[in-house]
Amino acid sequence: MPAFSTVLENKSTRVILVAVVAVALIVAPLILPAFVNQTLVRVGVYAVAVLGLNIVMGYTGQVNLGQIFFVGLGAYVTAYGVNHDWNIIVVFLAACAIPGIVGLLVALAAARLGGLAIAMVTIALPIVGVPLAKRLDEFTGGSQGTSARFTDAPEWSGLYTDQWQFYIVLLVTATAFLLGRNLVRGKYGRAFGVVRENEAVAASMGISPYRTKVLAFTVASILGGASGFLYLAAVQYTSPETLSFGHSIALVIAMVVGGAGSIAGALIGGAYYVFVPQLTNAIDPSLTTISQGLILLAVLFLLPQGFVSLPRVIRRLARRRPARSTPPGNPPQNSPVHHPATEPAREGLEKTERQDRS
Amino acid sequence: MKIRNKPDGVLGIVAMASIIALSLSGCVRDGAGQGDGSGASPGLTDTAITLGVTTPLSGPTAGPGTCTVAGLAAYFGAVNADGGVEFGDGKTRTVEIKTYDDVYDPQKALSNFQQMVSDNVFAVTSGLGTPTNRAFRDAAISQKVPQVLVMTGDPLFSNREESPWQLGFVPIYENEGAAFGELLAESGAQHKVAILYQNDDYGKGYVAGFKEAIGGAANVSVVGELTYEATDTSVDAQLTQLAASGADVFFNAMSITPLVISSLQKAQQIGWKPSWFLPSNTSSPTAILQPGGAAAYPGIYTVSFSKAPQSPAFAKDADVVKFLADLKQYGNYPDMPAFPHCMWSYMVGATLEEAFKKMTEPTRDSFMTALRDIKGLQAPLMLEGTAVDTTTDGQPAVSSVLVQKYDGRGYTTAEKFG
Repeated sequence: MPAFSTVLENKSTRVILVAVVAVALIVAPLILPAFVNQTLVRVGVYAVAVLGLNIVMGYTGQVNLGQIFFVGLGAYVTAYGVNHDWNIIVVFLAACAIPGIVGLLVALAAARLGGLAIAMVTIALPIVGVPLAKRLDEFTGGSQGTSARFTDAPEWSGLYTDQWQFYIVLLVTATAFLLGRNLVRGKYGRAFGVVRENEAVAASMGISPYRTKVLAFTVASILGGASGFLYLAAVQYTSPETLSFGHSIALVIAMVVGGAGSIAGALIGGAYYVFVPQLTNAIDPSLTTISQGLILLAVLFLLPQGFVSLPRVIRRLARRRPARSTPPGNPPQNSPVHHPATEPAREGLEKTERQDRS
Repeated sequence: MKIRNKPDGVLGIVAMASIIALSLSGCVRDGAGQGDGSGASPGLTDTAITLGVTTPLSGPTAGPGTCTVAGLAAYFGAVNADGGVEFGDGKTRTVEIKTYDDVYDPQKALSNFQQMVSDNVFAVTSGLGTPTNRAFRDAAISQKVPQVLVMTGDPLFSNREESPWQLGFVPIYENEGAAFGELLAESGAQHKVAILYQNDDYGKGYVAGFKEAIGGAANVSVVGELTYEATDTSVDAQLTQLAASGADVFFNAMSITPLVISSLQKAQQIGWKPSWFLPSNTSSPTAILQPGGAAAYPGIYTVSFSKAPQSPAFAKDADVVKFLADLKQYGNYPDMPAFPHCMWSYMVGATLEEAFKKMTEPTRDSFMTALRDIKGLQAPLMLEGTAVDTTTDGQPAVSSVLVQKYDGRGYTTAEKFG
């Protein structure tokens, strides 16, 4: 594992690796079965939504329970645009911009509040959104929902629809993740981090906590809207049930399980959101809620930092194992100073070590 | 403050993507041909046929959703125990049912449909929910997978032109409204009707059917017509206004249980005691009429097409006895059914069996032709006077309903109004 990491630190190897993955992603849909493509498409849809949530919650530390509202809004804008024959680029821009503007307006008010009050405001969004979607039936199709087909593969491409959808989703998702990654690695990402840790410190460093929170919230809404566009590209139908509050909680769960404050975690979160219901359906369709709860508990017990911490945990375990067979070797790596977050399991292990030694 | 170090994140992405790419690159697309070479459609072998159901099995609609599976499983469990169904092509096959939970979420319903296609399901059936069924309707059409006898009152599913691979099972909202309108028009006496309806496709469907049925009748006049929103918590204002119209019949197309109860109470309080019409899904004697004090009214009417197993009148009925036994043994549903969907999905089973017997080729095309050619089938549990009829364009498999009148404990069929 350490050797692998050193290889990765070499910039050119990394570029080559990224290129290999990119090629693999482009070739993959051509050889994969349709159902796998369709599943990966949905992973992409929700990965973008979780990415937005991660920026506002994971990086900036502002509880947002209304992300699904922006997904639904983006989906409705897309459906409306497609059904009125707008250019697809215009549809996409509108699907990002309108949720972005709504998110900005909400954030301007909500970011003045602290902590849990923001959570309360964001809870209101899907709760208001469902009846709103039912009542504004000239835009939304009412409770029967509205369908819009614009992602059937065109004749000239020679592709199956699932492959065509895969490329659309791949394009948008990859762009969103690249932009998201650059955002959180740069100046704004550092500002997000400071605001999350301590707003007073942020203010003393010349970072306005208010503006930072509004920015994070707006970016999350734009990504939510983009996810809504992808939702319609994949599902081709939306209804008020899409906005239901429960899905918002499921997105938060996906973010936490994937890894809060991590870009790769958002991708894993999207995969979790899609795969777990399929998995639990395969176990027993009438026990899905229970088995989903058990999986969630198991993940949070074993990997409290989310799936993204899995390589780190494995590396730590790998490092510790040789240390145990030869106790005097490498003591600094085992000292608690390096790992302030000690879990109970670790303590147990150390005790045995000490017993071994005595 | 945490600043994540670069290689870690890239490592994560690379690892994730490689895992996906590597683990799946072994599978190669083999085209759409999943049949066994004999020209049969996917999901159909010489000994078995596989049906798929996507329906809410968890969440708020899990109760009725579970019933849509239980009844079907009960019916075909008993059929399989007797050896299976003899199909029109001469082969005898057993019926397997694969169930998928969609939590009433359109996105999950589509996902389940895609899974069914990859699981080689012959046809999708019996699933509950308008948005969930709509979510994969387009996909079912483009992949030519039958999506039939589904539990939605949405007329779109019974439109042959727009939905060539679909068919609804339960009566559309218009059917229910029309049945009551006809009864009223035939009564001969003068009636003034007040209408209150939910301001969406549900309420509008009921009113449209009712108005069409009373269209030519000189003895029925609508004296008041108001709406409410599904999100409203009170309709007291509307009730007061409608009471002032002096109507003797109140047509209340309402789908919200607590609102129906409070309307029943409120109308009594203000001294307005008309005869009521209530939709089939909000007319439960124990859950709605008793708490609402419905005995105070001259008549509470609703519609139905299935025998009620909980009613003493049907306790010894042969259909009901067999149904309850099957439900217990094969449907994994030991209790008295709490929702009519259990009975409906049992009838879905009988209707499918009829179509299987008629289909001459082991293909989906032949199945759809056979399914659209069923007339006058008295499925088990159906009330005398109702029947499955799939031959009329624009109508679901069951479009005949009987008006029922509340007798203080349960419902009995009302031959005439009053």
